[in-house]
Order: sequence, then structure tokens, then C-alpha cells
Amino acid sequence: MLEVREVSKRFPGVVAVDHVSFSARAGEVTGYLGPNGSGKSTTMKMITGLMELTSGEILFDAVPVRDDPIAYRRRMGYVPEEPHLYSHLSGLEFLTMVAQLRGLLAKSSAARIDGLLRLFSLHPDRHAAISSYSKGMRQKVLLSAALLHNPDLILLDEPFSGLDVGSALVLRSLIQELAARGKVILFSSHELDTVERVCSHIVILHRGKVVADDSISHLRTLMALPTLEKIFAELAVEQDTESISREIADLIQA
Amino acid sequence: MTKLQFRILYREFLFRLVDREVLSPQEGDSGRLLARFATVLIILSLLFTLAVLQLDNGQLTYQALLISAWATEHALIATTMLLVGLFAVLSWDSTFPDRRDVLVLAPLPVRASTMFLAKVTSLAAALSLTVAIFNAAPGFLLPLTVASASAGFLEMFLSPDFYRMFAAYWITMFASGAFILCSVLCAQGIAAQLPRALFLRLSALLQVAALCLFVGVYFLEPGLTSPQALASGRNQHLLAWLPSYWFLGLFQRLNGSLDGMTRPTLVALANRASIGLALAVAGAGTAFLLSYVRTLRKIIEQPDIVPASRRLSWLPRLGNGVETAITHFTIRTLLRSRQHRVILSFYSGIGFAIVILFMRTPFAQRLSAGSASNYWNQVSLPLLASSFVMMCFWTLGIRAVFALPVELRANWIFRNTQIRGAPDYFAASRRAIYVLALALVLSASAALFLSIWPWAPAAGHLLVLALAGITVAEICLYGFHKIPFACSYLPGKTNLHMIFCSCLIFGLSATYWSADFERRALSDQTKYAWMLALLCIAAGCARWRTAWANSGMDLRFEEELAPVISELGLHRDGILPVETPLDASSPRA
Repeated sequence: MLEVREVSKRFPGVVAVDHVSFSARAGEVTGYLGPNGSGKSTTMKMITGLMELTSGEILFDAVPVRDDPIAYRRRMGYVPEEPHLYSHLSGLEFLTMVAQLRGLLAKSSAARIDGLLRLFSLHPDRHAAISSYSKGMRQKVLLSAALLHNPDLILLDEPFSGLDVGSALVLRSLIQELAARGKVILFSSHELDTVERVCSHIVILHRGKVVADDSISHLRTLMALPTLEKIFAELAVEQDTESISREIADLIQA
Repeated sequence: MTKLQFRILYREFLFRLVDREVLSPQEGDSGRLLARFATVLIILSLLFTLAVLQLDNGQLTYQALLISAWATEHALIATTMLLVGLFAVLSWDSTFPDRRDVLVLAPLPVRASTMFLAKVTSLAAALSLTVAIFNAAPGFLLPLTVASASAGFLEMFLSPDFYRMFAAYWITMFASGAFILCSVLCAQGIAAQLPRALFLRLSALLQVAALCLFVGVYFLEPGLTSPQALASGRNQHLLAWLPSYWFLGLFQRLNGSLDGMTRPTLVALANRASIGLALAVAGAGTAFLLSYVRTLRKIIEQPDIVPASRRLSWLPRLGNGVETAITHFTIRTLLRSRQHRVILSFYSGIGFAIVILFMRTPFAQRLSAGSASNYWNQVSLPLLASSFVMMCFWTLGIRAVFALPVELRANWIFRNTQIRGAPDYFAASRRAIYVLALALVLSASAALFLSIWPWAPAAGHLLVLALAGITVAEICLYGFHKIPFACSYLPGKTNLHMIFCSCLIFGLSATYWSADFERRALSDQTKYAWMLALLCIAAGCARWRTAWANSGMDLRFEEELAPVISELGLHRDGILPVETPLDASSPRA
């Protein structure tokens, strides 16, 4: 289980994440939602260890992450929000490098990389430079790199970004399948429809604070709202969306 | 509208000449980088100013002073041309809009001609600024020093000679810079007429070739600034091929100091400068303009996904997983990143120029006077010294490019997959420099020496070279707590290498002395054993020092400047009830 306890992150003049606490259990997909600038990706980066915590603690399987970050990294797979990759390498070279850095055995990792490339339909382009890949292809490389070592904790920050419909459907099923096999999955996305289908439990962040942490069905009942979109709008959207859209249309016509 | 678009694009392109991607997002900004470049230029300018100040010792007549200033004037012209050449080579890719420019600007109502003008003007402005900063002090002091020899201080300011020389100086400097820039643009424009794929390949080669040419010519061109050397018939052919002397001729013509036996030569050189400049400008204008619209269209038409091609990407396993991954990553980056290859070419170009100096010039002949006349088939000083110089410069070059990141934002993968302690990654960096620097130079040296020398001295020298290479590599790795190409870069951190390079360049006699010692040691077993022992100790000490500096250090992914104000950290002891300082590492996501 992943536990985030009273985690805060402050930058000069702004509190990005303010005493956030939640937990993500093995065997279920936890959705991590929030509007732009709410602190989702900052939390993700703190959980991965890419960013230092200002205060608070993160535990995985009841062990503080900072006690043994290397052991934690061995068990964690991460898909970042933006597909920053070494574009002068080919997809195959990048994944081989990741496998070597993760200390996987050459023979078994080669078979696993080959399999992932085939299943993600990247095999024909495996020798092409990543610079020539489309956004969706880069996203598939990131997903392959995150899953290569069979991690226990999978952190997905906007994993559907750039994927075509077919690949998105595969990924949706894959997330559920991995959760069913006992993985801890934390899944951040703006696609509420997908979150509603995939996640059993959601955490909604607004202005750096947790405003909801419950199962979707319980939230629906509690708030007497039919969809996750309505719940999200109620909890995390302050603007009157219709009036804003009207104002934008008026503004460009003026 | 077009004027405004031009101004906006000009400013954008001007600041984009410096690749901000390589800078630390926390501490680095292009302003700081530009300030550091300007500082380097100002220091160079001050060094030349000292040379200008030493021209007038009060005993020379005006005419004698004019002639004695030729060497300094030529050095200033040659250095200006080198600086412009280096700048043009380093901003090679900035002359054409990149894919991002086209994708952003194509949907906007911006004409290709506006984009073209903004690109060329920004490049010319940056280069003009470089010329102006470098020549600021000598450009004022040289006319002042020379003109003051013919008149008093006040009279000098009233004399037209002073203003004529002042104008001649600046016209010559800008003309020489324009000649180099236009020549580079012309070469690029002509290459751009080729099919796009061929152009991209050829462009990379041209860039490295141009760099080698500029550096090589600067270091190798002979000093022909005395009246006798300029007037000598056997030097005329050489002078006709050296543009820096053309512009020396132009300077003298504009300055009105064409007299005596050098007049025909200087007139001919000045004519060459004028014709060369006109041809370069016309050639660049035509070729570049022709290629521009064509290139723009091709950039847009270029497909997002190019067909897969099976590369020859197999590399042998080089140690454990981390060592193999990082060494392979380093080799591939160096093979595929043009920016890094150019910088490595700069270092190897200097090394190569020194090697040619050793092999071919009277300086080498004089220093190797005591050695065998046929130095190709016997152990000879020039070859011994050359291999050492190449080892040093190649290793320094490799270390310098290691510090420059490639796709800085992608370094999260190294942070995220760090499943071993930092010493394993330091060992991997060492492995990378050993493979790319030591192994490469040793292999090339082995191929050369084992084919031309008897095997015993060849093997003996290779062993010495290996130990010297290890020492240099370990010195280079001191304080390098990074994965190659994966840490942000702040300019000014490679001072050590520049100092080392300067020591090596100025210590050529010492290099020769060491090579001479080795030559004698190779024929005396006792001496050779002592030399090996000393080199082993030096290599061991260098390695121990590097390991000591690495102990307890973490991997660094962000280059940081030392803080101007040091925090006392009293809150940590609970003395002051101050909150933990705010983290300034990144904006809110």
C-alpha cells in the first residue's frame, strides 16, 4: 500500500501541495484528480522521488520511502506527464538502456522488450529514432519503460495523452488487469470518463488540498450527483463554465 | 505589420542563438550565459590591448611604428576572423528555421521573407556585437598609439590621419568578419540545394570541416608581417591563400600606408580582400536566398514518422548493467549529436594543429635537431610528442562535451532508475571516458606505431601513453559527479580545462622535453622502469584524488552556482524558530 501522510510542498510565494494525505491500496486503481495547477503532478513527482518534500512522509508497504529510496525505486514504475525522452536513441535502444539501468538480466529483458514493442505496435519502428515518433508512440515507449521491470507500484500521470482510441482501450484494460494482479496503481488524469470506468477510489485535489477521498460510488451517493463529472465540477471547479465560454466568444467578436 | 513582425522575430531569433535548453533551469539564464561569453571576449580584447600598448616605446618614427604594428594588426584581424568563424559554426543550425519555428509560424500570417530577414539580421547582429566587443579596446587604442607618434596629443585629435586609421580599423574588422560569415552561409546555401537527406548529412560534415579549417588556419598560418616576408617572391603564393593577410592589405590601403617595397603586395592583397568579400556576399545572398524557400517547404513536408531502418546499433557489453547503459548512451550521443561533435572537433582541431606544428614546421625541425632524420621509421620526438598531445586534447574534449546535456528534461529516467549507489554511476562515467578517450587514442596509436616502429619501442610507448592517459582522464574526472550529458550546464565551469589546454599549448617545449626523455628511456631499461614507476604513481595519485573527491557525494543532475549569501542553518539546531526555507526548485505543477 502507498501512504501519503501530511505531505506539503512550498515554492516561494505559493503552497503547491498543502498537507495532503491519502492512501492507494494494492489491487485497486486510485484516481488522482484536480484542475490545472492543483498540485497533482507535484505530488506525483514527490512520490517518485524526483522532487523533495517540504514536509510530511510517504510510505510504501509501511516503510518510509526516504529510508531506502533505492529499494523503493526498484519496485516503482512511473509514466511522467510529459513524454521527455532521449530522442536521438531509437525506441529499442531507450528501452534496453532502461532495462540495463534497472539491472535486469540481458536475455530476459530482451525478450520482454521485444514483447512490449510488439504488443504496443512499436515493433516496426523500433530502430527509428524517437525524434521521429508521434506523441502516442512516445507515450507507448514511456509505458513500456514503466512496466518493463514488473513494478509493484505504478504511477501514471496522464497516461492516455496522445494515444489513439485502440491504444487507449488497451491501456484502460491493462490498468484494470494490473490492479487485479495486486499492483498499487495511482492514476492521474483529466479524462473523467476514463477515471470513472477504471478507478474504484478517487482523490480530488483543489488548490493543493484534498477535497475528496472516497470511492466513486460512495461519493455519488453522498453528494447525490449522477456522474463523476458533476462531482468534480461541484468540488473543484469554481468558475461558471457557461458564462466564461460566452465571455470568450464575446471577446473575440468585439 | 511586417516591420513589427520582423522586430519580434528578430528579437526572438537573436536570443535563440544561444541554446537555452542546456542551461540549468534553476540558476541559468541566457543573460548569464551571454555575459560570460562577453567576459571571455573582453579578456581576449584586454590581452591584445597590452600588445598594442607595447608598440610605442617612444623611439620609433611614425613610418617605423606603422610597420611594427603590422604583426599586432594581423593578429587582431586573424583573431576576429576566428571568433566570427567559431560563432558561425556554433550557431550553424540557427541560420535556417527549425521544425518548431515552421510549425509555430506557418499558421500565422508571416511571410517567409520576413522570417528569412529576421534570421539573417539576428545572426549578423550577434556577430557584429562579437566583433565590436572584442575590438572595443584595441580598436580605439591602436589608432591612438600610432597617430600619437606623429603628433602631439591635441594635434592628433585634430589630424585626419587619426580618424582615417580609426575608420580603416573598424571597416577592416567588420569586413573580415562579414567575409567569414558570408563564406559559411554560402557553403550552407550551396549544400542546401542538394536533396534534404543528403544536405542534413553533408551539413554536419561541413560544420566540422569548417571548424577544423578555422582553428587549423589560425594556429598554423605563418607570421609574414615583416616587410621582407611580405615582399618576398616565394611567399606570394602562400599569401594569396590566407584571407587574414588579404584584410591586412585592405587595412593598409584604407589607412593610406602603402609605401616602399611592400606596396605591390599589399595592393594585391587588398584587391583580393575586396573581391573575396564581394564574391562571398553575392554568393551567400544568392545561394542562401535560393535555398531558403525550398528548405522551408521541405521542413514542413518532412514526415513525422520516417521509415524504420535497421541501424548498426550493436555495441559490446562494457561491465555491469549501469556501466554498459551509460557507456552505450555516451557513445550513441556523441555519434548522433552534432552540437557535441562540433565541440569535440574544436578540441581535437587544436590538438591536430599542434601535431602538424610538431611534424612539419621549422619549430619542430629545430627542436628535433638531435633526433633521427627519418622520424617515421624510428622512435622520434615529433611522433612521441604528437601522440601525447592528441591523447590530452581528445580526453579534454570528451570531458568537456560530457558536461553539456542532451535533452536535459529527459534526465528523469536516470533519476527514476537509480537503483544503485552513486559510486556505481561514477564508475560508469569513468568507464565511458576510458572507452571513448583512452581506448580510442590508444587503438589509433597502436595501429600507427606497431606498423611503423619495431614492436618493442612501440609497445613501450603505448604503455607510457596509457599511463599518461589514465592520469589525464582522472584529472578530468575530478569533481565530475554526474552522468555524461545528463546534468544541466552553467558556462564558466570548464575553467580547469581551459587552463590545462593553455598550459599544454604554452608548454610545448616541456612536452617536447618529456618526449625526449621518453625517447632516451625507451633505449635504457633502467630509465624506462623509473619512468613507468613515476607514471604509475602519478596515475594512482590522480585516481585516488578523484575517488576521494567522489566519496560521500550524490549524483548531480542540476548545476548550481554557489549562493551569494550563505545560510547559517541555525533553525536546524533549534536555536531560532525559523521555518524550513522555501524550496525554490520548481514551479507548481
